[in-house]
This record gives sequence, structure tokens and C-alpha cells, in this order.
Amino acid sequence: MARATASLLALALTLVVAPSFAAEESALQFPTQDDAIVEHLPTHVGDAAERRAARAAERAQRAALQEHPDELGLALQAAHGALARGRLRGDPRELGVAQAALAPWWSRADAPPEVRLVRATVMQSQHLFQPALVELDAVLATPGVALPVRAQAELTRAGVQQVLGRFAEAEAGCRRLAGADYAALGSGVRLNALACIAELASLQGHADSAAATLARLAGAPDADSATTAAGAAAPGWLNLMRAELAQRRGDAAAGALFAAALKSNPDVYTQCAYADWLLDQHRAAEVVALLKGNEAADPVLLRVALAYRQLHGRGHPLTREATATLGERYDAALLRGDKSHGREQSRYELELRGDARAALRHARSNWAVQHEPADALVLARAAHAAHRDDAAAPLWQFLRETGGRDARLSVGGPAAAPFLQAAARTEARSTP
Amino acid sequence: MIRALALALLMAMAPLAQAHKASDAYLTLRVDGSTVDARIDIALRDLDRDLDLDTDADDQLTWKEVRTRWTDIAALARRDVHLRADGARCTPGVTPAPVPPAEAPALAQHSDGTYAVLRTHWLCTAPVQALSVEYTLFANTDPTHRGIARIARAQATADAPAPQLAVLSPGKGWHRFTLPALPAVATPDAASSTLASAPPAPSTMPATPPPGSVDAAATPPAESAASTFLGFVREGVHHILIGYDHILFLLSLLLPAVWIRSVKPDPRTGLGRARWVPANDLRHALTSVLKVVTAFTVAHSITLALSVLDVVDPPSRWVESVIAASVVLAALNNLWPLVSEARWKLTFAFGLVHGFGFASALKDAGLAKGALAAPLVGFNVGVEIGQLCIVAVVLPLAWSLRGTRTYRGAFAGGSLAIAAVAALWLVQRAFDLSLIAG
Repeated sequence: MARATASLLALALTLVVAPSFAAEESALQFPTQDDAIVEHLPTHVGDAAERRAARAAERAQRAALQEHPDELGLALQAAHGALARGRLRGDPRELGVAQAALAPWWSRADAPPEVRLVRATVMQSQHLFQPALVELDAVLATPGVALPVRAQAELTRAGVQQVLGRFAEAEAGCRRLAGADYAALGSGVRLNALACIAELASLQGHADSAAATLARLAGAPDADSATTAAGAAAPGWLNLMRAELAQRRGDAAAGALFAAALKSNPDVYTQCAYADWLLDQHRAAEVVALLKGNEAADPVLLRVALAYRQLHGRGHPLTREATATLGERYDAALLRGDKSHGREQSRYELELRGDARAALRHARSNWAVQHEPADALVLARAAHAAHRDDAAAPLWQFLRETGGRDARLSVGGPAAAPFLQAAARTEARSTP
Repeated sequence: MIRALALALLMAMAPLAQAHKASDAYLTLRVDGSTVDARIDIALRDLDRDLDLDTDADDQLTWKEVRTRWTDIAALARRDVHLRADGARCTPGVTPAPVPPAEAPALAQHSDGTYAVLRTHWLCTAPVQALSVEYTLFANTDPTHRGIARIARAQATADAPAPQLAVLSPGKGWHRFTLPALPAVATPDAASSTLASAPPAPSTMPATPPPGSVDAAATPPAESAASTFLGFVREGVHHILIGYDHILFLLSLLLPAVWIRSVKPDPRTGLGRARWVPANDLRHALTSVLKVVTAFTVAHSITLALSVLDVVDPPSRWVESVIAASVVLAALNNLWPLVSEARWKLTFAFGLVHGFGFASALKDAGLAKGALAAPLVGFNVGVEIGQLCIVAVVLPLAWSLRGTRTYRGAFAGGSLAIAAVAALWLVQRAFDLSLIAG
């Protein structure tokens, strides 16, 4: 063994010195055409004039803030603007911009509640869930906080708790939000609260009644039986919520609901959620059409690569190029210690690189933190592909405890069998 | 990615998706005597935010829009990146005229778009032993921005270690890097004595640095390198112990080690017929095991290194299928031996393939480019330890039971079972049956 280890050491060391510095650097380019487009910036909405105006407004806001960095109102406005842009484009740089706007208060323990709320939002976007909960708890424990701020804190906290799989705590928050304390804020808050409660119920074995409730909330014409019609006037997030529930129930209505959600809410999350559904339906061509041009966002690039794979196969140059770029971005994220891509990296390894074990590793470490249906799905699929169905046992345990169901979780091997049988029995009993 | 939950009538604020690659700049610092060649790649997107490059506000940048603002871009970098060698500031100077000149505006492509490339030739007062970098780029506009720095001596000698890697957080003061001493340079000052004790291996970044706290000065390189190394050792042990196919492969090869093939003339026909008989000589058994384990180690080390260094990168499905096939053949070889005494040769051949399998696990364990020695060796040491654990459990048991009927039964049944399981894997992996939906 010593001999082997020594020879291995020698081999490794001789090979390690070989690759040079230069190989890791990107090649220099010296463009010669002045009108050559060298970079596409995130697009502003509207025609040329509106785009210019939007840009000018951003610029003016930044300039004003530079002039008066200590003006909280101005700083909060800038931070909220950055978060909104970030949500639309899925760009984590905007989190930094929000943080920069609030720099004078950012690291203060006695920051105003509005600042703590932004801080919590940034933290949870960086998957720092526990610190985010600490901030939100602090906001809600502070007496005299403005009601809208409290309401947003309640909702954000419920959202984080839902991601973590703490359904009871999340539901308690949404019930408070639906209660008399917040009645003064009007029907909008109540709609959010009731939808939140319904969605939580759907994750705990009451998918059918929850679907009906959400349809009713969305003002769908025939709420009792059909959950198919998308509420035309319903907000995008509500249609999205219904779409995701329909997807979990294996209801084909999901497609129309996703499309409706996308119409009023064309953000990266909605685009990718719709793309996932289309991929499951083997409608990859539509995915490419939907997402083309937005590949700057990593999750979009992942779906585009998956669509290419479905259309052309793994060996096709388009698939390979997208896969390689995605890999470089994950490498870069790893360099800076960002581990928030687990769910997507698992899919990248499994579906694009065909490395089931790596996929399983990502899926497991992701499941250790997050318990959303999509997290469950990647874990089940990776474990199955890696011939390690036992690795998904915590997931089946979780679903047994919460009563969660998902039509996409039809796989899972022997470890899933007891759960699936139990679920089938429950269903048989509840169906008259 | 997390779905946005916003109260529409309240602030437009909600959880948002962590999606794009975050903002990074790439610094390459080559130290050559008392000069440092610095290259900094900064994303045009970041520069546009701070400098408003998009003059015509059409959400795209032309070369002209970038080129005409090059002075401002260079000034920004000059303002926010500073170097200090052994305590004394270095000054940005003029490059001795490469072609095209270093001042010429240049671009480079990274995975998330186009970057401006700034090249600066820094002059320090004396040959550089320890280089400190002060980095405040975008500290006031995007505190989540990071500089990914690679630092090394320019001399490409055989014993030059890979570049040191570090993540620079803007506004975190000076990041200090101790460079490996040059063999030819013998400076009798105090710095050289600390350098002599510096580890020859590159100080690698921990696979998961705490956010915003990577400071080469704050973490002693030796310590972080050691803990990184141990991390990879653990990863290696873990990998072999959870990798059922590697275990079954080894098991198939270890089971017959306590036996020898013996040719006994059949009393009826008088013809020789080979069969397994218990070995009497423990040394023989141990040698047999040692050969097998060594062959496996050497073989998988070769391909592991080749694959991690991107010299060879066979498709994973192919690799996984051949690994399954190797288990089938090793198990069948016990039942109908084609290779009995020279099993190590068989092991070597298939060990090559298992190495590719390890590589994908190692790559996944978080391999910083440019610092490969520690992960590679550490992971391999871990694999060896895991392997020895298996040998330590199996061999004494097999030795003590080798003459019993139980062992003969377990041997035949076990080999058959292993072959069957592995054949199933082979089919699944070769035909991609495990991939559902998509």
C-alpha cells in the first residue's frame, strides 16, 4: 500500500504542475467594429422611449441616494426597486444593490423594521433561511411597527417556513394574516392569507379541496367542479399557485394556468415553472420558444439545456454548449462558496451529465435544508437513478408525516412502496 | 429557487430567486521578481451600473460605448485595486510594450457574459515574497460582489505549485498571500524564514468558505490546506463505502484470495480438473490480496488523475456501464475462472474504469481549479482507507472460514448474487432506464 500511495503521490504531483495558468484565462478579444454589439444588458420593459425613461429613473434614484445616503425613505425606495428588478430578472446582483442602498443601517442590530424586512428578504433569497427568520421574528416582535410592514413580514415568514417544511408554523402565520388584526389592510391581504392557507392544506393531503378553494378565490366561473379555468382577473401569483397545485395533482389544467400566470407575471420563477411542466409533457420546442434570450439567468439556461436534450439528445452541440456553460457558472458559484443551487445542480448532474451519484449528493444536501415539492422530486429521481432508493427515505417519511402527495412522484422503488400503498389506501377511502 | 410571495398592494417586496450567476471579477496576478502582472476581468454589466456605459439606453452595449469610456473603466479599477509587497505599496506602471499594448481595451467572454479586461504592470520596491491585495471594487454599489483571485509566481518551473486561489470580499481590508520561496532566491531577511516553513503545496481555498470571510491573512494557509485535505480524505472514504459497485467489485476479487486453484486428476478419467481448495499459506493469501488491492489502486489513480485534469473525459453513462460490467465479470470469474492466479491483471484493467467513476465523485466534491494536488491525493488516500477497511473486515472472516462448507456455499451463492445484481445495473445504466420523465 505504501508503495502504491507513493507512486500515486508522484503521479499526481507531476500531473498537477503541467496545466499552466494561461489555460484558465479566457482569451482576449480586440473588437474592430465600433457598432459591434458586445453585451446585452438586462432589458427594461417598453419601447425605446420608455426604456430610456426607466434607465434615467434608476440613474436619478441612485444619484439622489448618493447625495443623501442617510435618507431612509429614499434608501428604502431604492432597495425595493432593486428587489423588484431582481425578482423579475432573477439577478442576485440586485440583492447587492438593495444592500448597498441600505448601507448606513445594514449591519446595525437596531436597524428600523423596514430595513430588517429587506435584510430578511435578501437573506432568504441567498437561502440563509435561519438568519432570515431571526430578522422576521424581530420585526414582528417590535411594538408599533406599521401594519403593512408587519403583514409583509408575516407573509414572508410563512413563505420561509413553508420552504423549510414547517407547515404548522406557516399556517399559523397565514391564519393571523387572515384575522382581524390585519383586516384594516383590505381584501388584498386577506386574499393572500386565504390562498396561503389553502396551499398549505394542499401540501398536507387536502389537494382537491384546496384546488377548489383557490379556484374560488381566483373567481373562476365554475369553482365547485372544474379547476381548469384560469381566473382572467386573478393576480399572476394566484394563477401560479393554482398551476403548481394542478401540476402536483397531475391535472392537465396546469398548462393554461401557467400561461395565465406568465401573462401577468413574466418573471424568471414563473417562466421556469412553466418550462418544467412543458418538459414533463415532452413539449421541449415550446420551452425553447418561451425562454430563448433569457439565458443569462441560470435556471433559465438549465431549462433551455434540458429542452435541447429532449429535442436533439445529449450529444448535440447545442445541448453540450449549454451544459458546459451551466457547469462553468456552477463552478464559479462554488468558488465563492454559494451552495444555493442544489436543487438545480442535481438536475444538471442527472439529466444533462448523466451522473446520478453526483445528482443524489446535491439532492440530499438540498433536502436537508429545503422541503418544497420540487426538492422532493429531485431527491426521488436522483435516488432512483443512482439505485439508492433508500436515500430518499427521509422524503417518504416527510410525506407520510405531512400527508403530501405529488403525481410526479410515481417512482421511488421499494422505499417508496409503503408510502405509495398507504396513500392509495387513503385515497380509496376518501373517494366515495 | 423560491417562489415570490408579495402582497401586491404593499411594498413590491418578496423573496426572489437566486438565479443568475452573482457578480464576480477575475484577478490573475503573476509575480515576477519585483514586478506583478495583473489582469482583471470585470463584467460589463457591473461597469454599466456604476458608469452608465449604455449611452443610448438601448439595453445593449456596442464596442464604441465601451471603448470610448475605457479611461473611466481603467480609473475605476485603479481606484479600487491596490497591491502591496512585503508592506510597501507597489505602483502601477507601463508594460514593456507587448503586442497589442497592455493599455489597449480588450474584452473576454465568461460563462455569464462579456468582461472588460484590464492589464496592469505593477512595480514593487523589492522582490515580492508576500503580496497583499486591497480590493474595494463595487463595495458601495454591490456588496455581494467578489473578486476571484489567482496568484502565483510567473516562473513555470517544474516544482512551481499551482496558483493560490482566494475570494476577495470588497472592503475587507488587505488580503495577504505568502508566495512560495524561489529556490534560487536566498534572501537572509526575516520574511524568508517564515517562507521556508510555508507548505510546498498550494494553499487551497476551503471547499465551502464562510461567506465573505476568506482572507488569506486571517486563515493560516497550512491549517486551511490541512483541513481541506482531510475533507477530501473523508470524501474518498465516504465514496467507496457508499459505492456498492466498488465494494462488490472488491468483494468478488477478495473472496477467492483465501483459496488456490488446484488441479486434481479425476480418479475415473485420469484427466486433470481444476477446483478451488483452501490455501494453507497465509502469506500466499496476503500476497494475493496485496496484488489485487495495489493493482486496483494504481489503475484507478491513473484514470482518476487523467479525468480530473481533463485529459480524458469519457461519458459518464459509458463509465458507469463498464463499471457494472466489471463487477459481473469479476463475479463470474469466481464461478468459471478464466483468470485465477493473475487476478491482479484483471483488476488493473477494470480499475482503470473505476478511476473514471471516482473522478466524477471527486469533481463533484468541489474542486477548485488550479489547486488539484491536495484534493487528488486526499481523495485517493480516502479511497485507499475505505478499501483497507473492507479488506480488514472481509479477509480475516474469509481466512477463518475458508475450509468450511458455509464459505464454499457463500462463495458460490455470493458470486452468483453479485453477478446478478451487477448485470441488472449494467442493463439499467447501459440503456438509461433509470431516467424518468425527461
